[in-house]
Amino acid sequence: MTLRRFFLSAPIFLFIFLFQEAVVTQMRLPAGGFNVLLVVALIWAALSTPEIGALTGFGAGLMMDVSQTSPGPMGHWTLVLIIACYFIAFLGYGDDNIRGNPINIVLLTTIGVVAAQTVFLILGLMLGQEIGSVKQVFFVLAGSAFWTAIISPLILKIVSYFHSIIFGERSHI
Amino acid sequence: MRYGGDNRGRLLIIVLLVTSLFLITLDLRGVQVIDGLRTGTQTALTPVQKVGSWVVSPFRNFLSDVTHFGRTRNQMEKLKAENEKLRVKLQNRQIADAQLKQLKGVLDLAGTAGYKVVNAKVISQGSSTSFTQTITIDAGTTSGIHTNMTVISGFGLVGVVKYAYTNSALVQLASDPAFKIGARIAGSQQIGILSGQGTRKGVLQLLDNTTQVHKGDAIVARGSQNGRPFVPGVPIGEITSVDNSPGAVTQTADVKFYANFSTLGVVAVVVSDSATDPRDSLVPPKPRPTPIPTVTIYATPGAVEPTPTATK
Repeated sequence: MTLRRFFLSAPIFLFIFLFQEAVVTQMRLPAGGFNVLLVVALIWAALSTPEIGALTGFGAGLMMDVSQTSPGPMGHWTLVLIIACYFIAFLGYGDDNIRGNPINIVLLTTIGVVAAQTVFLILGLMLGQEIGSVKQVFFVLAGSAFWTAIISPLILKIVSYFHSIIFGERSHI
Repeated sequence: MRYGGDNRGRLLIIVLLVTSLFLITLDLRGVQVIDGLRTGTQTALTPVQKVGSWVVSPFRNFLSDVTHFGRTRNQMEKLKAENEKLRVKLQNRQIADAQLKQLKGVLDLAGTAGYKVVNAKVISQGSSTSFTQTITIDAGTTSGIHTNMTVISGFGLVGVVKYAYTNSALVQLASDPAFKIGARIAGSQQIGILSGQGTRKGVLQLLDNTTQVHKGDAIVARGSQNGRPFVPGVPIGEITSVDNSPGAVTQTADVKFYANFSTLGVVAVVVSDSATDPRDSLVPPKPRPTPIPTVTIYATPGAVEPTPTATK
């Protein structure tokens, strides 16, 4: 049942992946821009059970890993997103104060994006990846937080709508 | 109700984590299937990215357009329909003009050096979410582009081809933190290693600590064996500051790249370098200060001197 629903959500994530690679990367937004796939995966996880959250992280992470701009080895983003999505789902699951309030979901997603990028960075360092100057790292992290805080409220309703179609009305905001 | 988890759930998490670790291990060991997966994805994505680039190009400067609306709302409403078509036309023309200018610059540089180049349009700029600096160009192995080829713009070095696909290629920009290039100072010929820092500024580490480096010195590529990954003589940037710490083992200097990585539209990939090293011939000339005319006033003897008048 869980797996069947997870596979139903795959076309949605595939579309978002294509949108990210074909449109968002063309925008050349200031402060590093944002990754819409990462934002949607975290919002999706915040509305789901921890198992679905982890599966979502796995699927979205695989897509981010096959992206040409991913510098790390295959599985790098997958590992990070399994952990990030699981924890976001774990924090939100069963707590209506979090799941029922859009502001809390936006806040959780923004923190989740920054945390996921930080974990990605630490794992990258452990795997011998170059990260550049500390100033630049903070700039990218701050830029991601800024853009996520702007993008999340705009797409939350849409993500919530599609989530409720697949997983039932309980998660609808 | 707080989530406690059950055995099946825990097992799923463990399986997913182990799978991702397994993938990392396979990739680090260089298993071909994993590389093929990325290459296949990129080959499939290239047409989508080209369409995306075409669709997004009129909207790229949307933010700056919004800030330049100086007319009143009524006038804008009246002229909106008429302006819409003209604006799109103008934007397309401006984009084409800018690309033409960049292309001319690239060809001038390549022609002076005698490089054989393949021109390409930038179709995507990598998101910096993963802390990398990359671009994707619309030419690949079918155009003769392979990995480890130098990429230049009209101003100088842009980066190096990291992966070449059938119809596109991923270029690692010189600003990428993992980017390193052997460089020499034009004129003094002192050599060093230049590293990207994630911004338009790089750091040059000189091999000889006794070298005299000055602000404004031009840096060019030292070149690699058979011109790959780097052809010699490509201008990289100029020194903006020098760190002369007395205790330092090596001397370092900050370098500002000539190329502006955020405005790249057209680039060229050097597929064959020149027979002779162009040495310092590609270094852009330093701007000459415009002479300021000076006015000299001579006092003439016998001239009527102005007398001070008393005021009450």
